[in-house]
Amino acid sequence: MAHLFQAWNNELFLVIFLILGILLPVGALWVLGPMLRPARPNDAKRTTYESGVQPFGDAHVRYHARYYLFALLFVVFDVETLFLYPWAASFHQLGRFAFVEMIIFLFLLVIGLVYAWRKKVLEWNE
Amino acid sequence: MSGPLIAFYVIALCVLSCAVLLLSARRVIHMALSVGGVFIGCAALYLLLDAEFVGVAQILIYAGAITILILFAIMLTNHEAQEPPFRWNVRNVLSALGCLLLCAVILLSIRRTAWPVPDASVDINGGNSNPVAIGMALFKQYAIPFELVSLLLIVALVGAVLLARSRKEDE
Repeated sequence: MAHLFQAWNNELFLVIFLILGILLPVGALWVLGPMLRPARPNDAKRTTYESGVQPFGDAHVRYHARYYLFALLFVVFDVETLFLYPWAASFHQLGRFAFVEMIIFLFLLVIGLVYAWRKKVLEWNE
Repeated sequence: MSGPLIAFYVIALCVLSCAVLLLSARRVIHMALSVGGVFIGCAALYLLLDAEFVGVAQILIYAGAITILILFAIMLTNHEAQEPPFRWNVRNVLSALGCLLLCAVILLSIRRTAWPVPDASVDINGGNSNPVAIGMALFKQYAIPFELVSLLLIVALVGAVLLARSRKEDE
């Protein structure tokens, strides 16, 4: 019995967390919220909240092309982060050599970051 | 039915409904969100197959970075054009036939393939968990290719910067 419980343990926890993750926001937003809050909407309350500024235009406007460069840079450093994961997981078994390897890896990417910085890619001036 | 089988069916249902939502959504933003859903569902499938590293990579790279890239590309472009209502003309019939044919070919090749079942008594990870085994291989056996990856990333970074610079100088 104990063995069976062990085998099911991981999946059981996953299922419990899945149910909790679905139930908590649904319960808070659609069940408990409407029961607790007063509902007296008017036109002023229904307008989109834009930090106190009167909203204007459509939400789906075209964005500046500069954002795309940040997305590309993000992808590069995201891939770098991915390699940190197996490195951290096997760190104790690998020892000093892997540490040096990762330092070299990170150093090369820092050079790339410094290059982008020097080229004023990270600055936002119109 | 065992636990993993039930989980597989639930996740597969989520992935398929996200994929259908992607095709049927009217707004491009909703499409991008359902792409994210498909990616996360695939990550759950990988985790179910004990491929932890691939699952994490799927969430980090695809659900995180690639979805954002798609979203930004959508936001940069003009997408106010209205889609004409669907009609059964020659082109649509032909593409539907093509899709069915492709589906049949894929299904047939899946059915015909004798999938090798790994010998459970041989642990290919050498007693380690999946990310640890990948780390051991990556930092011992494949140290040079790993360092070359950083060069590849730098090339991508410099290329992105150069493209942005030349666009700016054109203005």
